[in-house]
Amino acid sequence: MRLPDSVTGSFLVVLGAASAYGGWLLPPVPGQPVGPNVFPLVIGIGLALCGLAIVFGIGHTFEEEEELIPLEDGQAAAAAPPQGKFYSLRALLPPALLLFYVVAADRLGFIITAAIMVYVTSTALGAKWKLALPLAALSPFAIHLIFGKLLRVPLPAGLLPTPW
Amino acid sequence: MSKITRRTFAASSAVVAASAAFGLRPALAQAYPARPVTLIVPWGAGGGTDATARIVAALLEKDLGQPFNVVNRTGGSGVVGHTAIATAQPDGYTIGMLTVEISMMHWQGLTELAPKSYTPLALMNEDPPGIQVSSSSPYKTVKELAEAIKAAPPGKFKASGTGQGGIWHLALVGWMQAMGLPANQVAWVPSNGAAPAMQDLAAGGLDLTTCSVPEARAIIEAGKARSLAIMAPARNPIFKDVPTLKEAMGIDYATGAWRGIGAPKNLPPEIATKLTAALKKVYDSAEFKDFMSNRGFGTVWGDAGQFGSFMDKGDAQMGEAMKAAGLSKA
Amino acid sequence: MLKTLIEAFALISTWEVIIAMFAASVYGLVIGSLPGLSATMATALLVPVTFYLSPIAAIATIVAASSMAIFSGDIPGALLRIPGTPASAAYADEAYAMTRKGQAELALGAGVWFSAVGGIAGVLSLMILAPPLAEIALSFSTFEYFWLALLGLMCATLVARSSPVKAIAGMFLGLLVSCIGIENPGGVPRFTFGLTDLFGGIEPIPALVGVFAVAQVMRAMLTPEPPPLPRRKFGSIMAGQWKLTKQYHWQMTRGNIVGIIIGVLPGAGADMAAWVSYAMSKRFSKEPEKFGTGHVEGLVEAGASNNASIASGWVPSLLFGIPGDTIAAIAIGVLYMKGLNPGPTLFTEKASSMYAIYLMFIIANILMIPLGIAMIRIAAYILLAPRSAIMPIIMLCCAVGSFAIGNNMFGVVTVAAFGIIGYVMEANGYPVAAMVLGIVMGTMVEQAFVTSLIKSDGSILPFFERPVAAILAAMAIGALLWPVMVWAWRKLKPVRTGVAATSR
Repeated sequence: MRLPDSVTGSFLVVLGAASAYGGWLLPPVPGQPVGPNVFPLVIGIGLALCGLAIVFGIGHTFEEEEELIPLEDGQAAAAAPPQGKFYSLRALLPPALLLFYVVAADRLGFIITAAIMVYVTSTALGAKWKLALPLAALSPFAIHLIFGKLLRVPLPAGLLPTPW
Repeated sequence: MSKITRRTFAASSAVVAASAAFGLRPALAQAYPARPVTLIVPWGAGGGTDATARIVAALLEKDLGQPFNVVNRTGGSGVVGHTAIATAQPDGYTIGMLTVEISMMHWQGLTELAPKSYTPLALMNEDPPGIQVSSSSPYKTVKELAEAIKAAPPGKFKASGTGQGGIWHLALVGWMQAMGLPANQVAWVPSNGAAPAMQDLAAGGLDLTTCSVPEARAIIEAGKARSLAIMAPARNPIFKDVPTLKEAMGIDYATGAWRGIGAPKNLPPEIATKLTAALKKVYDSAEFKDFMSNRGFGTVWGDAGQFGSFMDKGDAQMGEAMKAAGLSKA
Repeated sequence: MLKTLIEAFALISTWEVIIAMFAASVYGLVIGSLPGLSATMATALLVPVTFYLSPIAAIATIVAASSMAIFSGDIPGALLRIPGTPASAAYADEAYAMTRKGQAELALGAGVWFSAVGGIAGVLSLMILAPPLAEIALSFSTFEYFWLALLGLMCATLVARSSPVKAIAGMFLGLLVSCIGIENPGGVPRFTFGLTDLFGGIEPIPALVGVFAVAQVMRAMLTPEPPPLPRRKFGSIMAGQWKLTKQYHWQMTRGNIVGIIIGVLPGAGADMAAWVSYAMSKRFSKEPEKFGTGHVEGLVEAGASNNASIASGWVPSLLFGIPGDTIAAIAIGVLYMKGLNPGPTLFTEKASSMYAIYLMFIIANILMIPLGIAMIRIAAYILLAPRSAIMPIIMLCCAVGSFAIGNNMFGVVTVAAFGIIGYVMEANGYPVAAMVLGIVMGTMVEQAFVTSLIKSDGSILPFFERPVAAILAAMAIGALLWPVMVWAWRKLKPVRTGVAATSR
């Protein structure tokens, strides 16, 4: 997801212009010399200016290279990650799982949804089933005990109610 | 293994659902409440509405023998929680605390929900707005203040107490109208609630606030501000020295922020009757009375019917004030 | 005086209070250290529990839990680069860099030690200086708040190690996020696109959790599992803290003072205290180039500052019922619920209760040291556990934590969205911490600006006329021009070939 500065900068220009325009459209509020339109306008212009500066590389010389701070005994040179075509899409897995939780939790219940989330995340990070399965079986109950029971957060029961 | 469990559970829950739908209907009312009840609060934990809901829930639990769980559904400036109450199953197992905002938000076009979207159960509390000035203010009575406001050009006086279009803003607008003045005679300075407004009043940034007297109490007791009047039909027994608007200047204007218990529309009448009766017991209990007077909250009782007509009346009043202030979209 | 002190002792030396305090301490430590849950939430979730406790025990739980949670928010920040609170976001990179250098115990030890010192300094200010501090709080009008909030925002550029332009852009993005909703001075829906859930705006906590925790899990998906840290004994946590105290006593004192003052100002709170102190520390340090590479100096000052602000934040709460921050707002609710109505009468009529609160603050901060050490020792095991066991639990905490804020699924959606935003920003060198700061401060800047203009009938003169406002204005404008001056100065200097070679 490393994009050239010109791309991110241009995006900021567009976003800034859009929010400035969006702010401009807001109606004034009676009795307020500075209405709700001003703040988005100022921010939008500021954002657009920042975007322009980034496109033209102003302030770039400032950028300190992110040096990887080595581990104390020298980090082993990491093997280059396998670069499949869709490999970078794996990064979208965590937000996708969170959205899955939103959609599924009320129907399946907290325990089942959470178990699926834990299992998938764990496997995607390279865990063998010997680790992923017990983790997925136990951790939802632990979390439910703390939040559902002790702190009375109304976690959905769904298909599999907890024994307590 | 998990597959079997899931299927068994699905099957058994279907059986439960079916028996509930056909066999057990008539028994429902006697049995109510047969399981824990959720009481939705549209505002955050620790606030005044939350505290009121929690004392009501604790006393209902004592009376009806089932847990009443308070759930704070915040977000959307109260819209989210009020929506959750309105859209829940009308089976008596989800009820909620309605607040004055329900009679305001629909005028602003923020939601479709209005008081008529609920089954009213009971009105528990109403707090009238007060009129507070800084202790260094030259105005000793509300009459002096009103004369000065009348004589000044529009917008010279600055008032605050809550956000733009909030209940205390509308109280100010209503008061101005009752005096025959335009809505913008006093400029409204929006604030994040009563406490910051009272701070700004003490810091000398404002001329008056129109939040409720209990909200202003700490600053008043610190000698940094004083309350000139309340917009209520009668004096508050805890703040006996503060006159009503009618007593002080002959203006018959009263309004207030209220809290009541409601349920989704179409709640079975036998459950509604049972809940209203239980709420009446809560209202009459010494615990509730002590708690409310401790916090300086006003107690007002209204049963289901009275609560309903109270909300309708307030709704119309709010609509008028909002139109006058140019806040209404309707 | 002595009599009330003895009465206060009697009030807190019941089993109920002792147990409540101990349990709440452990609870605060655990919740604060779970990524995705914050100190504010730890306190909010306690409210239902306090309902069943006696007044003093109820306050004890709030005091203990909030103090512990603010400290333990540093733990995931240091170990996983997932700050637990917006306050720890200011220096999470620094603490994480120290962990990578093998100095996790020094970083966390500094966190616990200077938090405790700061907390006690805060209580002392509460005990001795409450009336004059309260006067400071009441002398701040919206004009002063405007400059203060602007100064807080400037810290984003001072703290950032990346290009200042990108830091400012990140801050603007945060400000733009804070525009969402109807909680603006005009009370009109802004950028809500008709969605009810957006009316209330984007809360800082789910955004923080998204850009740090979820983005961290996303990065883990693409990078191979790093080799585990060599199994070595986790060194002594307290060793070296006394040396740091002597070495950085001036930074510590400055942190305490800044924390106390910012804490007293309603609305500012611990988040801003940590940011301002960390930025000050870097600005006035003799070796600013070391900041961000695992240098303890900034941690000392910021840690000393944010816990000091927690205690002093109770001054306006107790005297006027005006909350200093979100935690104090919840605490006020509990005080009212227990009949300890805030106001000056609390100090006179219920003096023993007041002293009991002071004592509980002191005990909580002393208790923080042994409990904090134990917590750090337990938490250190996550450095040994494989990533594939830690990250799933973090995901679960993110989901539950963001749901529990308002019992609203929209919080989970927010977290997911900010995960993506944070991931993209981080990959392209935009500091996400600057955006978090923008979200935290945005409403305050706008509110202060708009209300000030209403009060002055559109004139901007009062922004510079009032003495305190003028001083803050000079500081803010100075901080604004600082990066520009540095930039111009660097431009005038001949470009070093080394810099040119490494720049992209």
